[in-house]
Amino acid sequence: MPNLFPPLDDRCFIRTGKVTLGLLVIISFSTYAQYPGYTAIGEIVVFKRQFGAESAKVLSIACDFTQEKTLTSLTEKITSTGKFWFKRSDKLRIEYTKPFVYLVVMNKDKMLVRDGQKESRINVKSSKLFQRVNRIMIDCVQGNILDSKDFTARVFENGTTFLLEMTPVSKTLHEFFQTIVLTVDKKDYSAKSILMNEPMGDRTLIKLERKKLNEPIPDTVFTP
Amino acid sequence: MNRFLIRYLLLSSSLLLLSCTSAYRSLRPISVDGACARKMTPSAMNTSWYQADIDVVNKHLSGLVLIKNMPDSSQRVVFTSEAGVTFFDFGFKRPGKFKVYAVIKKLSGKAALKTLQKDFELLLGEPFARGDLQSWKTQDETFFGVTQKKEVAYFITDKDCSSLQRLEWGTKQKRKVSIKIRGAGYPSPDTLDIIHYTFPLEIRLTRLQKNDSSQ
Repeated sequence: MPNLFPPLDDRCFIRTGKVTLGLLVIISFSTYAQYPGYTAIGEIVVFKRQFGAESAKVLSIACDFTQEKTLTSLTEKITSTGKFWFKRSDKLRIEYTKPFVYLVVMNKDKMLVRDGQKESRINVKSSKLFQRVNRIMIDCVQGNILDSKDFTARVFENGTTFLLEMTPVSKTLHEFFQTIVLTVDKKDYSAKSILMNEPMGDRTLIKLERKKLNEPIPDTVFTP
Repeated sequence: MNRFLIRYLLLSSSLLLLSCTSAYRSLRPISVDGACARKMTPSAMNTSWYQADIDVVNKHLSGLVLIKNMPDSSQRVVFTSEAGVTFFDFGFKRPGKFKVYAVIKKLSGKAALKTLQKDFELLLGEPFARGDLQSWKTQDETFFGVTQKKEVAYFITDKDCSSLQRLEWGTKQKRKVSIKIRGAGYPSPDTLDIIHYTFPLEIRLTRLQKNDSSQ
């Protein structure tokens, strides 16, 4: 009767070692292949400190944005454009102008949403979900996202850009996002793009363009 | 005090009687005008993006709705927020097939799903491919209807059969849902107002201009 469980010999260990090494190479290759041209930053604690200090120098951003929503399984895209304003701290205005008109103003715990038909004022404290979504957008632009307890993070870099991949911890956020990927300009630590990957494979990429940093923006821009 | 109570009871019972009056009482059965039915039956819509405004139980929300024709002749209806988060993704295939590809927890209740399914089935003209048409007329309009279990799905034209006025779900007694068509009609309607009469829900869809969205 053949031995179905032969003892492991040295050759077997060597073979197993080769397989493990091969798997490790594949795994590490696939990690970096996810973000071609980027390498992982191991020392997140050091990076976080540096990132927090440098991005704190960005006091305001005024720019245009392009948002591209891709419905992967339907091979369908919709591109929208608008204006974006940020002022430290906790003030954000996102104004979609094409192909639809839509305005969101966030100012600390107050929020204004105006669509074609109506205007709604929301106290974000009264809605946990609004509070969280509000916090994510502000933290991405403000450079605090690595401190957020809502996400675990991996950080990558290339010559010009840092890439922060955030994975939601809570089920509530996981329902909407598989990961959020933020790219940050190395020269001034300002956000370049925010990519929201959804669990079903759809994604939304917001690119911040023609940025004007640290120019005065009146507070009235953020009146909710 | 008693007089006030009697008046109140009289008023409320009259209101109750009025509300029980059939919305379709003035319909007179006629034979189906085949040519008009062929011309006006709402069939599949062209692939389009719509801006959506929703008022439900004193709450307002908005977003974007994509109606997309698929290569297998099914249609997909996707609702996303303006910022891109998908709220639901439904598939409709004739005859009568419905599939939920994705839905967020808040919309995944049986009643919410059934309401959305029926609204979009009517909007896509799906019930009219499922049964024999009957026809009725009023002074100003012609009704074409298909009976679906206890309800009737109607499409309603003007009396000259020159334009499609609206679509409806109703029972024999009650109008339940209307979809009013404004501007250009099918297959690329400009504006669709979905109005519910049995509970406070209104959905307005306004078509985005094609050259403003890339495909």
